[in-house]
Amino acid sequence: MNPVTLNKYQLIIMADDKQVVLERILQVTRYRGFLINGMNAEVNTGNNVATITMSVSSERPISLLVDQINKLIDIKGVKVDNSEVQIKQYSA
Amino acid sequence: MTESKTLTGGALLFEVLQDHGVQHVFGYPGGAIMPIYDALYDSDVKHYLCRHEQGAAFSAVGYARAAGTVGVCLATSGPGATNLITGLADALADSIPVVAITGQVPTAAMGSDAFQEIDIFGLSLACTKHSFQVTDINELEKVLHQAFEIALEGRHGPVLVDIPKDIQLAEVTQRLDKLSHLKNKVKLPLADISKALDLLTHAKQPILYVGGGVGMANAVEEVRDFAEKTGMPSVSTLKGLGAINPDNENYLGMLGMHGTKTANIAVQECDLLVVVGARFDDRVTGKLDEFAPHAKVIHFDIDTAEINKRREADAAILGDLKGNLPLLTTDLDITDWQKKLQQMSTDFAWRYDHPGENIFAPAVLKTVSDLMPNNTCVTTDVGQHQMWSAQHMSFDDPSNFLTSGGMGTMGFGLPAAIGAQISRPHDTVIAVSGDGSIMMNVQELATIKRYQIPVKVVLIDNAKLGMVRQWQDLFFDGRLSETDLSDNPDFVMLATAFDIKAKLITKKSEVDAAIKEMLDHDGPYLLQVKIDATENVWPLVPPNTANDKMMEGV
Repeated sequence: MNPVTLNKYQLIIMADDKQVVLERILQVTRYRGFLINGMNAEVNTGNNVATITMSVSSERPISLLVDQINKLIDIKGVKVDNSEVQIKQYSA
Repeated sequence: MTESKTLTGGALLFEVLQDHGVQHVFGYPGGAIMPIYDALYDSDVKHYLCRHEQGAAFSAVGYARAAGTVGVCLATSGPGATNLITGLADALADSIPVVAITGQVPTAAMGSDAFQEIDIFGLSLACTKHSFQVTDINELEKVLHQAFEIALEGRHGPVLVDIPKDIQLAEVTQRLDKLSHLKNKVKLPLADISKALDLLTHAKQPILYVGGGVGMANAVEEVRDFAEKTGMPSVSTLKGLGAINPDNENYLGMLGMHGTKTANIAVQECDLLVVVGARFDDRVTGKLDEFAPHAKVIHFDIDTAEINKRREADAAILGDLKGNLPLLTTDLDITDWQKKLQQMSTDFAWRYDHPGENIFAPAVLKTVSDLMPNNTCVTTDVGQHQMWSAQHMSFDDPSNFLTSGGMGTMGFGLPAAIGAQISRPHDTVIAVSGDGSIMMNVQELATIKRYQIPVKVVLIDNAKLGMVRQWQDLFFDGRLSETDLSDNPDFVMLATAFDIKAKLITKKSEVDAAIKEMLDHDGPYLLQVKIDATENVWPLVPPNTANDKMMEGV
C-alpha cells in the first residue's frame, strides 16, 4: 500500500447556460484525472450565465484541469480557490 | 436579419456551406438525413458517396489536411453517426478542422429509443472540439457558422452539428446579415520573448523541435527562415515532417520511438529545445523524466493547455507562431555543434544495401520518394509501413504527408488519399498502406472506382500485422498472437474487381520499373509489394526508455 497525496481544490466556473455544459465539464474533469468531491450549479436567468462551484481532488496540478476547462467553448472563466488542502489516500 | 427566399433547413445547410467556400462533401445517406440529401439534389455542392461513414470522415480529414481548409462529412442518425466517431477522434487528436453533419430523429421522437436513434451529441463530447444539437430552425444558420469558426479558431479541431429531421424540413425566410464572431480566446503572447532570447543567446547546443502545429499555423516559411538564419539543428515529429526543408544541412530527421539515431542523440545532448507547435507526445519523448535531460525549453504554442502539460517550459510564447517566431531570430555561435551533428548524420545515414533478392521496404519507399513528382501528397495507414514512410520518404511541405499521428488509426490511408486527391486534383496522391490496414477501409476502393479517382496505392504486404508482430517478437517472447494474415485475399484480384489496375512484385529487381509504371499510369493503381515477414522497423526506442537507448537490431 503506497500513500497517494491528493490535493483538493475548489473551482468556480462561469459558463454560458448552454446545452450539456455541465456534461462537458464533468467529462473533462474525469478524463484529466480529477475526482469530483462535490458540486453546485446555478443559473442567473437575467444574463444566462451559469456559475458552477466544484470541489475536486487529484495528484495532478490543478493548472492541468483549469487549462482544459478553459478550452471548452462555452466557458467564460475558471477561478481556483486558494485554500488548497492535502489529503492522503492509500492505494494498492 | 435579411429577408430571403424560403429555405428548408436542409437547403439552408448547403447555402451556409457555400458561404464558407465548401465545394465538396463526403457522406452516406439514410433515413434521418433524407431532407438534407433532398436539398443536396438541387445544390452546387459536390457530394462524394463513400461506402462507409468512417470512410467519409477520413476523406474529410484528408481533404482538410491536403488543402488547408475545413473538411465536411455527412451521416445519418444512429449507426451512421456512430461510424463517424473514429474519424472525429482522429481529427481531434491531430487538430484537423472538420465539420460533421449528422441527421437525427425528429425532435418529438428524441429520447424515446426511436429507430436509428443514438445520443450522438452526448457521444461527441470526448471526440470533438465542440458539438451542437439544433432544436430550433431559427438557430440553425448561426450554429452552422459557429461550427466553421470553432473548427478553425486557435487550435483546429472537429465540430459536430446534429440536426433532427423536422429541423431539416422546417423553413426559414430570413438569413443572418453577418457571420457571427466568437469571443477570441487566444491570448496575447506571454511576455517571455526577452527571456527566450536570453536563453537562446547563451545556448551552445540548441535544437529546434518541430511539430504538426507549424503546418497548421501556416508558418512553414517562418520556421524554415528561422532554421536557416540561426543555423539551428532541427528535428521533426511525425506530423511535423515536411515543415523543415529536408535538404537543410542541419536537419536531423524525425525524433522519437522510430526516429533517427542522430536526432535522438542530439536531443538528449542539447542544452536548449526550441519547441514549435509540438506537445512532447509520449511517442516522441520515450521516458519523459529522461527526455532532453540537460535542456532548457522555449515552447511556442497556440494552445495554453499544452504549455507545462508534460514538460515545464523555461519560456512560454503563446499565440500565433507565424508572428512570434521571427522575434527570436538571432545569430548563434554553434559551429562546433553543427559540425558534430552533421558528422553524426553522415555516420548514421540510412543504408539500403539490403542483402538477398527479397524486397526491402525502406528501399521501395525511398525509390517512390525519389521518383514521385514535386508536390506529391502521400498518405499512410498505421504500422510498420507508416514508420518506414516517415523514415525513408522526403516531403517538401506538411500538407504532403498525411498520417494518423495522435490516434494511430488503421484504415486512415485510403479514404484520406481520396479526400486529398479531390482537394488537389492536379497533384499526384499516393496511399502507402499495409496488408492489415488496407482491409480496415477496403470498401473505399468502390469510391475510387465510382469517381475514377487516380490515387496510387503502394501496398506493403508482409502477410502480418507487422508492427504488433514486431513487438510480440521483441517484448512478448515471440508469442505471435493473432498477427498472422497469410490468408489475406488476392489483392491484385481484389483491385481488379474494382476496375483498378494492379500489379504484384516479389523481387528486388522488379521494384524500379513497377514504381515507374504506377506513377505513369493515368488512373488509379495498386502496387502490391511482397516483403519479408520478419523485417523490423529500426531503430526502436523500447517503452519507458530514454531515447538514446534505442535498439538498432536483434
